Amino acid sequence: MKRKFLSIVAAIVMAFPLLAQAAPVKIGFINSITGKEAQIGENLTNGAAMAIEDLKAKGIQVELVKEDDGGDPKNALAAYEKLVTRDGVIGVVGPYTSGCANVVASRADQYNVPLLVPAAAKEEITMKGYKNVFRLNAPANVYSMVLMDAVKTFKPKTIAYVYAATDFGVSTVKTAQENALKMGLKEVANEKYQQGQPDYRPSLSKVKAANPDLVFLVSYDADAILLMRQAKEIGLTPKAFLGAGAGYTTAQFAQQTEISNLVVSATQWTDDVNWTGAADFAIRYKAKYAKEPSYHAACAYEAMRIMVETAVKSGTAAKLQVALKAGSWSGIMGPVKFANYGGFTNQNNHPMLVQQIQNGKYETVYPVQFSKKKLVYPFKR
Amino acid sequence: MLFLQSLLSGILTGGVYALAGIGMSLVFGVMNISNFAHGDLMMLGMYLAYFAFTLLKIDPYLALLLIMPITFLFGFMLEKVFINRVINHPHQNQILLTIGLGLIMSNTALLAFTSDPKILTTTYSSSAFNSASGISVSVPLLLSFLITCAITAILYLFLSRTRTGMALRATSQNREAAQLMGINVAKMSAIAFGIGTALAATAGALIAPTYYIHPLAGHSFLLKAFTICVLGGLGSVVGAGVGGVIIGVVESMASTYISSDWKDVVVFMLFLAVLLFRPQGLFGKKGGQ
Repeated sequence: MKRKFLSIVAAIVMAFPLLAQAAPVKIGFINSITGKEAQIGENLTNGAAMAIEDLKAKGIQVELVKEDDGGDPKNALAAYEKLVTRDGVIGVVGPYTSGCANVVASRADQYNVPLLVPAAAKEEITMKGYKNVFRLNAPANVYSMVLMDAVKTFKPKTIAYVYAATDFGVSTVKTAQENALKMGLKEVANEKYQQGQPDYRPSLSKVKAANPDLVFLVSYDADAILLMRQAKEIGLTPKAFLGAGAGYTTAQFAQQTEISNLVVSATQWTDDVNWTGAADFAIRYKAKYAKEPSYHAACAYEAMRIMVETAVKSGTAAKLQVALKAGSWSGIMGPVKFANYGGFTNQNNHPMLVQQIQNGKYETVYPVQFSKKKLVYPFKR
Repeated sequence: MLFLQSLLSGILTGGVYALAGIGMSLVFGVMNISNFAHGDLMMLGMYLAYFAFTLLKIDPYLALLLIMPITFLFGFMLEKVFINRVINHPHQNQILLTIGLGLIMSNTALLAFTSDPKILTTTYSSSAFNSASGISVSVPLLLSFLITCAITAILYLFLSRTRTGMALRATSQNREAAQLMGINVAKMSAIAFGIGTALAATAGALIAPTYYIHPLAGHSFLLKAFTICVLGGLGSVVGAGVGGVIIGVVESMASTYISSDWKDVVVFMLFLAVLLFRPQGLFGKKGGQ
């Protein structure tokens, strides 16, 4: 009798969480909170946190399960598997780096839990036809395309590449070379470097000797400052420095006005673009975290907002997949729609922006419909 | 012109490598310990230079006068408290201890200063002397090189002319014999480790204005310092000096004439060749350990 009573009690206790589950929907968030990419990871953390707050203010409740991948694809995959099997999330936002996102994407269809990649650029991620992988940001080929489009009217003739020997660096330059070919640009130097070296002068001297019109750079944070310092030192002055994202889009870089002035870079987002809520987001972000929001923060904010709003309406992973595929949104990243085009699947055809540092501030200079300022060309010291 | 430019920037960068190598070599010579915390001690110097510049508004090169005595005392204390205890122990214990100390230092720095790289921007950070023929010499790098030369010269005089210096060399040559001659070898070890630490921190401070400052920045220099020591002959101060410049020039030439992606390969091929044909290093004593 006693045993029977206990088992009834146990059954009731166990049943309650099931009853209560009707309340918040569970979403996973994989990010690089520690490790080499932690600095940029922090921007994503902040952006996502702001999205959750804004949703709460609107009365949308969600339970967010955060996981750290430390920038390591192995950890990212383990985090995804834990989220979908143990935590029972119905959708996942992240991971940040291309390497991590690419590995996690390859397993999303196996578990049938939608993955929304906020800011990883490697093209392959949405090129394999995975039905559960969605990407908000523009892939790597757009970085070089938009940069070259911006300077096209000035008719440059030659180009040199200086880039980090990383996944992002190599894949961005590969597509840049294809775009350069289409534009009829002649490649005069190609310098791949190992990150974290104190002396890039030999590579830069080689580039200077080739005297290119355009210098196309891909580097992460601190390397960008080092490279531009040494470029100034040896007197490398092409008609334009084109920096593809990452290190050339940080506030720290812009503050180094002596070396960063007039450097052109491609970005997913700026705070002076005329997309709904972008300026407001920047103001609130600055007030809350006491620093400028990077495009990563905006991407994470918008990815999290779209994921949660859609997940709340859907309720299950399968319905979420259908809703993400069918829906369209508009917000701080402009219009968003996950479409199939040019070999991509579930890829948002995000228009990238070109910005130029003018007097220590990033100004959007291209495309013309989104910008207030004009591109300064040629580059001068 | 390209050749001269790379040769010059190789020599200048090599000078800073040399300073890191000399500190490590001195410690190995006197104490027979491979100090795997050397890179993290360099990182300490970088942060000291950074904070001296941002908080106290002292020029990073001038701050050396402050950094050297502080880090000497720090090294002296490290030896007395930790290293001293493993000096007659097997090599693996010493390696584990120094790696452990290094990990504690770099992770404390990560906690205290976060992983955001810091940039030390002085008025001359990106200025250069330009000659008419188009060769440019970085001002901060040249200053670093001259300071390295001065410090090396002072160290050389100290080791060859002073009583303490001679006692250090005697300890390095034969620990037991030195002790029998009445040299306080325990004190010599602490002094050697103090000087080694000060040299590492100085190398860090010298590179800070042209590099970026990060809690893990020392690790890439540790490998370089180690390569330099083995190349020049473990324990040989002159060898480490020459080894540093050789590595600097080889790196620079390799990135000019092959690819900067391949420069480490060239450096380590040279390293292997030295180990094969002259295992005691360029300036090492034959039959040494």
